[in-house]
Amino acid sequence: MTIASDEPQVASIAAPSVLPGKRRRTSRLTRNRWGYAYVAPFFVLFACFSLYPFLYTAWISLHDVDLGDVDGAQWVGLANYSDLLSNEFFWNAARNTLTIGVLSTVPQLAMALGLAHLLNYSLRGRTFFRVAMLLPYATSIAAATLVFGQLFGRDYGLINAGLEAVGFDRVDWEGGSWSSQLAISVIVIWRWTGYNALIYLAAMQAIPEDLYEAAALDGASKWKQFLHVTVPGLRPTILFTIVVSTIGAVQLFGEPLLFSGNGTTNGGSSNQYQTLGLLMYDQGWTNFHLGQAAATAWAMFLIILVVVGGWALLARCRARAER
Amino acid sequence: MSTVTFAQATRVYPKSDRPAVDALDLHIGDGEFLVLVGPSGCGKSTSLRMLAGLEEVDSGAVLIGDRDVTDLPPKSRDIAMVFQNYALYPHMTVEANMGFALKLAGVGRAETARRVAEAAKILDLEDYLHRRPKALSGGQRQRVAMGRAIVRDPQVFLMDEPLSNLDAKLRVQTRTQIARLVQRLGTTTVYVTHDQVEAMTLGDRVAVLRDGVLQQCDAPGVLYDRPANVFVAGFIGSPAMNVVTGPAVEGGVRLGGAVLPVPRDQLARAAAGTGRVTVGFRPEDVQLVGPGAGVPVVVNVVEQLGSDAFLYTKLAAEHTDDVLHPSDVVVRTEPRTAPAQGDQLHITVREGRLHVFDPTTQRRVD
Amino acid sequence: MTVTAPPPVDDAGPDSRPAPVPPRPRRRHRVGRVTKAGPLTYVLLVLAALVSVFPLYWTAVAGSHTNAEIAATPPPFLPDADLFTNIGRAMDEAPIALALVNTVVVAGCITVGTVLCCTLAGFAFAKLRFRGNKVLLGLVIGTMMVPTQLAIIPLFLLIAELEWVNQLQAVVLPTLVTAFGVFFMRQYLSSALPDELLEAGRMDGASTTRIFWSIVVPVARPAMAVLAMLTFLTAWNDFFWPLIALTSDNPTVQVALAGLGGGYVPDRAVIMAGTLIGTLPILVVFTVLGRHIVGGIMQGAVKG
Repeated sequence: MTIASDEPQVASIAAPSVLPGKRRRTSRLTRNRWGYAYVAPFFVLFACFSLYPFLYTAWISLHDVDLGDVDGAQWVGLANYSDLLSNEFFWNAARNTLTIGVLSTVPQLAMALGLAHLLNYSLRGRTFFRVAMLLPYATSIAAATLVFGQLFGRDYGLINAGLEAVGFDRVDWEGGSWSSQLAISVIVIWRWTGYNALIYLAAMQAIPEDLYEAAALDGASKWKQFLHVTVPGLRPTILFTIVVSTIGAVQLFGEPLLFSGNGTTNGGSSNQYQTLGLLMYDQGWTNFHLGQAAATAWAMFLIILVVVGGWALLARCRARAER
Repeated sequence: MSTVTFAQATRVYPKSDRPAVDALDLHIGDGEFLVLVGPSGCGKSTSLRMLAGLEEVDSGAVLIGDRDVTDLPPKSRDIAMVFQNYALYPHMTVEANMGFALKLAGVGRAETARRVAEAAKILDLEDYLHRRPKALSGGQRQRVAMGRAIVRDPQVFLMDEPLSNLDAKLRVQTRTQIARLVQRLGTTTVYVTHDQVEAMTLGDRVAVLRDGVLQQCDAPGVLYDRPANVFVAGFIGSPAMNVVTGPAVEGGVRLGGAVLPVPRDQLARAAAGTGRVTVGFRPEDVQLVGPGAGVPVVVNVVEQLGSDAFLYTKLAAEHTDDVLHPSDVVVRTEPRTAPAQGDQLHITVREGRLHVFDPTTQRRVD
Repeated sequence: MTVTAPPPVDDAGPDSRPAPVPPRPRRRHRVGRVTKAGPLTYVLLVLAALVSVFPLYWTAVAGSHTNAEIAATPPPFLPDADLFTNIGRAMDEAPIALALVNTVVVAGCITVGTVLCCTLAGFAFAKLRFRGNKVLLGLVIGTMMVPTQLAIIPLFLLIAELEWVNQLQAVVLPTLVTAFGVFFMRQYLSSALPDELLEAGRMDGASTTRIFWSIVVPVARPAMAVLAMLTFLTAWNDFFWPLIALTSDNPTVQVALAGLGGGYVPDRAVIMAGTLIGTLPILVVFTVLGRHIVGGIMQGAVKG
C-alpha cells in the first residue's frame, strides 16, 4: 500500500489474486539479444580480416620469416625490433615520414581553415566551389601521383617550365632530398585540403549565430570574432582533422611509391623520400623479410598511438587549463 | 475491453537507487478512463510504459483482465498506444501507418482496408489517407496517431501526453474529442499528462503520482474537495490551494495574530505531536469580513482575469513572526469590486471548507 | 466499432509543431552574420578551384598529345587529337578495359556489402541494448587508428593459403570492414531515428527483424546513400591492398595505373591517357553526385 493518505482507498486498490513475491528480473523486454546478430556480420569480418591479422602480424614480428617459406619461421624474440632500432633505413624512413608529415599536414590544415572561412561567406556558385574543392579527394592516389610526377618532371615538367619562364633554375624535384619531400607533400596537400575545408565549413556552420551577434555587440572585429568565436568553436574539429591527418601521414605509401615513375620501392636513389609505409613494403615484398616488415608495421602502429595519445593529452590539458 | 491491474509494480532504473515507480497498486475498471498525473519525473510515463511492455517490471505484476502480462512482449498484450510525438512512420502513407499493425497481425487486406476506412471516417482523415505524415498538420498527425490505435480495437488504449505537441487552442478542442471518442468506443484507457486541467476534464478517475509513489486515486471532484495530503492539495487546482502552518491554540490555528477556527477533534489529532497544525483553503473559499474579525492581510498584487480577480496577499506585517510557512495567501474575489493593491483586508474561511493536515505526516485529518 | 464521427478539429493548415519525422540535414538560412563575399573572396576561391581542377585538366591535355608535343616550349594548354591513339597504346601496355570491369565489380560488391553490414551494426549500436555494446563500439572506433600495414602480411598469407591471389574476392572481403561506416551509421541513426518510432513498431507487433526492414532502413536511406557514395569512391581509389592481392594480369584500375607508371622509360603520353581513362568514370560520377557527396561529408563531420 503506497497511498499516502490515511483514508482507506479500497475501491482503487487491487486485491491481486496472487501476490507476487519480490523478484528482481534481468531486463528481458528491453534488452535485446538481436543486437549480437546485427553486429555479427561486421565482427565476423572484423575478426577474420582485422583482428586475426593484427595478432598474426605480432607473431610474425617475433620470427624470422621469409615470404617464400612461412612454415620455416624461426623464433627470434625481439630481434626484429632491435634490428629495426639499429637500422639506418628505419631511422631514415622515420625522419622522412616526419618531415613529409609536417610539410603536408600543417599547410594543408591552415589552408583548409582559410578556404572554409571563404566558403562560409554567402556565395554565388556555392555548390560549384564546394564540388571543385572536393575534386582532388575523388582522384585516386595513383592518378594524382602520376599526374604530379609529370608536372614535377625535371626535363619536361610544367612546373620547371614555369620556373624557368620566370627566371629561376630548373629543380631536380625527384633527385633532391628536400625537393622530393616537398613535391610529395604537395600531392598530399592537393588531395586533402578541400576535404578538410568542407569539414571545417560544416563545423563553422554549426556554431550558433548568437555567439557572433553577442561578440559583435561587444565590439569585436571580424578578425577578433574569427579568433575568439570561430576557432574555439572549431577546436574539437581541428583536433579531429589533426588526428586523421597524422594517422594518414604515418601510413603514407602510394605517393612515394609511384612518384619516381619507375616502380621501385626504395624511395629514390638515396632513399631520400622513402617513408615507413614504403620501407615496410620494401622489406616484405622486395626483400621477402616478413619478420622485419611486421616489426616495422607494429612500429608504425606504436608511433600512431603515441602521437594520437599525445594530441589527446594536449587537448585534455588545454581543456583543463581553460576551466 | 478489459480491466487493468498494477499489483505492487515497481521499476528501478539501472544505476539508480530510488525506484522510478514504487510498489504501485492500482486497479482500473473495465471501460474506465484513468488519468495518471504528476510533475515531471513522478513516474507516470514509466507506469504507462510498464503497462505497455516497453519498460521492465522489477517486482510486482501487471495484469490485463485476469491475465498476468508482466513478462509478455507488447505485441502479446492486445493494447495500443498513442505517443507524445505520435511516432508515425515517416515513409508510410496515413493508410499504411494505420494498417501496419493489422498487416503484421495477418488481418486480410480487405478487412484491413475496411477498418482503416472506418477509423479514417471517425477521425475525419478520409482525404489524407494517401499523404505522408510530413504533409500533415500537427492536429492531423495527432489524429492519425489516434487512428492507428483505434483500428486495432484493443483491450486498452494507452496515451502518453498525446496533446502536448499541439498549440493551446487545438489542445482544448482535441481534448473534448478524445473524451467523446473514448466514451463512445467504451475502451479502457490509461492517459498520462502533466497538465492537471487535462487530468480533471478527461478522467473518470485521476491518479496523482509523486516521486514514484501513488498519492491518491479518486474521481476529479473528490480529488479537489478531499485531497489526501498536502501534495495533492497543492497540485490540483489553479491557483493552488493556500497551505499554511501555525501553532495550535484554543479553538483553532493562530495566523497573523488572529485565530482561524478549526474543529476541535481535528485540531487535537493534527497537533498531537508538534503543537502545530497545517491548514489549507482554496482561494474561492476565502471570505472577506470586517475589521476586528478574521486574519489581517495586505494586498500585494491584484490579478484581473475578467471572470474572477485573484488577490495575492501577505499576512499583515506586524504579525508575521508567528507564521512559519508560507505567508502568502491567494484570495478570489468578484472582479468588479476587487480591493486595490495595498489595501488591508480581514479574511476567514467558509464554513466546512478548511482542510486540515498533520504537519508531520502531511496527511489529511478529518 | 461503430461510432459516429465527432466534429473534425479545425486545423487545416500545416502548423509549425515539431514533426515526428527524422531531422534532415539542416539547411540554414543565415541572415545576420553571413556577409556577402567580396571580390577578393571570389578571386581566392577561383584560384583554389583552378588549382584543384588544373592537374586533372592537364591530364587530358597531356594525354591527347604526342610526347614530343608535350615537351615543347611553351607546352600546349589545349587538348589535341592524339587522345585515342594514346589510349590505344595504354590499353596495349596494361589491360585497362579489364581493369575497369574489375573495379566496377569490386567497388560495387564492397559498396553493397559495406552499406548492409554497417547499417545492421550501426542500428544495433545506436538503438539496441545488449551486453558489451559499449566495449564493442570502442573496439570499432579503436580500429580506425590501426594502420593498413598492420594487417597486410597475414592477409596476404591468408589469401595465398586460400589460393585467392589475383582473384577479386581477395580484394572485396577484407575491404568490407570499415569502422568509419559503422560509426557513421550509428551517429546518423542515433539522431534520426526516434526511440518512439521503434516502440510504435513493437506496439504494432513487429519483430526486431521486421522493425529493421520496415522502419529502420527507410529512415536510414539518406545516410545509406551517402555511405554508399563514399564507399564506392574509396573502393575505386583503393591502392595498397589491391596492389598486393592482384597482379597486372587481373588488376583494378589503380593497380593497372601503377603498372603503367612503372616502366623504366616512362611514356608520358601513355601514362596520362591511361590515367585519364582510369579517372574519368569516377569524375563523371562525381560531377553528377558531387553535391550529395559534399553534403554527406559535411553532415558526417558535424555528427562525428
